[in-house]
Amino acid sequence: MADTSQHAMEHGGESRRDFLKILTVASGAVGAGAVIWPFIDALGPDADGAAAAHLIVNVASIPENSAITVTWDGLPIYIRKLTAQQIADTKAVVTSTLVDPASFNSRVKPGYESFVVVVGLNTGSPCALEGNAPADPRGPFDGWLSPCDGSVYDPLGRVRGGPSTKNLVIPRFKFINDAQIQFG
Amino acid sequence: MRRLFAPLLAAGLLFSAAAHAEDTLTPLHWQSQGSFGSFDKAAVQRGFLVYQSACASCHSASALHYRDLEALGFSPAQAAGIAASVKLANGAPATLDDTFKPAAVPASAFGGALPPDLSTIESARPHGLDYVYNLLTGYTAAPASVTLLPGRFYNTGYPGQQIAMPQPLKGNDVVYADGTAATLPQEASDVSAFLAWSADPNLDERHEIGLRAVLFLLFLSIIAIATKRKIWRETA
Amino acid sequence: MSTDVKKSWLASRLPCPAKETGNCAPTLERGAPYLARLPALITGVALLLLASGFVLAVYYNPDHGFASIQFIARNVNSGWLIQGFHTTGATMLFAAVYLLLFRDIYRRAYTAPGELVWLLRVKLFALLLLVGWLGYALSDGAVAYWSLTDAGNAATGLGGVAGVIGRWFFGGPNGAGTLARLEVFHAVLALAVLGTLGAHRCATRALARQAKPKHPVSCHPYYTAQTFAAFAVFALIFAVLMFFAPHYGLNPLNRAAADSLIIPAVLSPPWYLAPVSAVASVFSTTLGSIFGVIAMLAVLAALPWLDRSSPAGKRGLVYRLLMGLLLLDVIGLGWSVSDPACTISGGLTVFFTIWYFFHFLVLTPLVTALEAK
Repeated sequence: MADTSQHAMEHGGESRRDFLKILTVASGAVGAGAVIWPFIDALGPDADGAAAAHLIVNVASIPENSAITVTWDGLPIYIRKLTAQQIADTKAVVTSTLVDPASFNSRVKPGYESFVVVVGLNTGSPCALEGNAPADPRGPFDGWLSPCDGSVYDPLGRVRGGPSTKNLVIPRFKFINDAQIQFG
Repeated sequence: MRRLFAPLLAAGLLFSAAAHAEDTLTPLHWQSQGSFGSFDKAAVQRGFLVYQSACASCHSASALHYRDLEALGFSPAQAAGIAASVKLANGAPATLDDTFKPAAVPASAFGGALPPDLSTIESARPHGLDYVYNLLTGYTAAPASVTLLPGRFYNTGYPGQQIAMPQPLKGNDVVYADGTAATLPQEASDVSAFLAWSADPNLDERHEIGLRAVLFLLFLSIIAIATKRKIWRETA
Repeated sequence: MSTDVKKSWLASRLPCPAKETGNCAPTLERGAPYLARLPALITGVALLLLASGFVLAVYYNPDHGFASIQFIARNVNSGWLIQGFHTTGATMLFAAVYLLLFRDIYRRAYTAPGELVWLLRVKLFALLLLVGWLGYALSDGAVAYWSLTDAGNAATGLGGVAGVIGRWFFGGPNGAGTLARLEVFHAVLALAVLGTLGAHRCATRALARQAKPKHPVSCHPYYTAQTFAAFAVFALIFAVLMFFAPHYGLNPLNRAAADSLIIPAVLSPPWYLAPVSAVASVFSTTLGSIFGVIAMLAVLAALPWLDRSSPAGKRGLVYRLLMGLLLLDVIGLGWSVSDPACTISGGLTVFFTIWYFFHFLVLTPLVTALEAK
């Protein structure tokens, strides 16, 4: 009887130490994890980087029939406000006759049909397009013109002539209100 | 172990006591002071209003972005509205990601020296909170014995007493949304609280995380020492 | 089978003897005090400084040092926490190193066969002083800016070889590019600190193997448990300082941007550089200051040969009394350059400096020789 109780005591002491050891090691692991986390967190994008990745641009001040250039993601982004005449003309084009068929509605955001937002790089031999600055030539379709290979684009950024075969790329963006668009 | 670390730990915990003892020496009490202090969000928000209407036209605070205002309890929409009401140097409205900058005015408009950037002004001056408060409430008429230099104002809170900044706050410069009376001492203490936040915006988070970390490490120390003692006893 | 094959595959290509001869064989004397774990704590906090330093280096911009530090605190995720690890880590590292050196002198641990370990510890201290000052200069605060400007102007203005080295190190007076090169030196010398810690580890192991313990014990779990407990308490003190007194021992005026037209009222360095800065300030010429600092470290390094008693000799009452005075002297040195009132410090700094050298060069040989009898 006495023998078993002593044995039980020893056994209890052993399991208490094991429990204490496991608790200590586990707590230490939790602590180490809590120290390591900030290092991982800190190498994520900083607030300026995150802001640049979600650039907000004010488009309310762009007059009709003119454009601005912004840089986002390292790309020149052309934002042009169309006139009623340009909207009517581009809508009138029969889509199937185009090199890279795309409808009017696929090139603009619903509700904001007067704004065209495109990456201003020629889709053929890559170089920045002319037609954004007021003095620039815009080509025969009143859109943009590549000074490198002579490709021409209409105001929606659809390719209309020259060696290029793809329309201008539309970046990821959304209207957050009537005045501002946000990229990313 | 205990011989060495207990006094060190006790010394560490004494910081708070010492800091609190200091507070009683001044008539002012700042909630953000002391080892366990935190910012009074309402006061800091009021202070921002004072800053924006009285300080921001001449002083920059280039370490602050308008997005940082969300930490003060402004909603993202409110912060965006505040930013949009600010005109940048090129005339466009500011966005959340712009820094606190004043309208572009050359140094010559200020008598040759640009007003200092206010981001960390309260770290830059000993007892920064009291310094800003005393400066803003320290304008008086110069005593007869003092001859003011041209373009200078008499201020008891400024080293040398002759300051180039005209009195920025006179009381009732703003209307507080929460109904607080905008007396001069109230405005001065609010803007001091705002600049304390501006100088050390992580204070609240630091104290919150710190309390949890210290309690956890206290627990860890106790069980680690207990484990060690048990192992040493059993290896005897 | 597969384990054996793997083992021999690796062992034949990476013949690392650490596992076999490792310190976990039952060759250690039982009952060492917690303070004997200081080297492990120093290595741990040095690794924390290295890791946080890497993250800070990602965002630090030497062209706008102060502004980029503000940027890290405000715009980098957990940036203020990483800065806390680095700032308070420096304080804790120096506290541990000062304690280690003082304990060694008190216990006369530098006597044979411990000379090499002692020399490596002095080298560690010297390297840390340099790395610490470089880090302080990188903070680019109002006080650090003037420390760097003074040091840069003094070093580049020297003649002869010293001037050549000074101009090479600073790249001319404090200006464009100075912080960029100091950032590189800070990182490279920090790696040298790690190398020294590695050599120190080998040397202490060799020392431990020489000893013939009366009651041998294996390192695990006996000393791992003690090391773990020491780390826990060390981390607790670290956290109290980092979260509730992050600027303890540092000049608060250094938290403002530097202005080349304004000299701050109090130009005191961080507490861990203060004793050395005090000795340097005693000398009126640049070369004198450099000589003073080198001499300060040289007498420490020479301690095994300045001690005239036998390695087994006991430390007597007078020796222990002198150790108390030395402790007060070093604290006094640091305090005399940190005193914001600047009232009585000048003469006292000279006195404390003289006592420091008097202690090591005269009192130590004399007292140890007398007490050895």
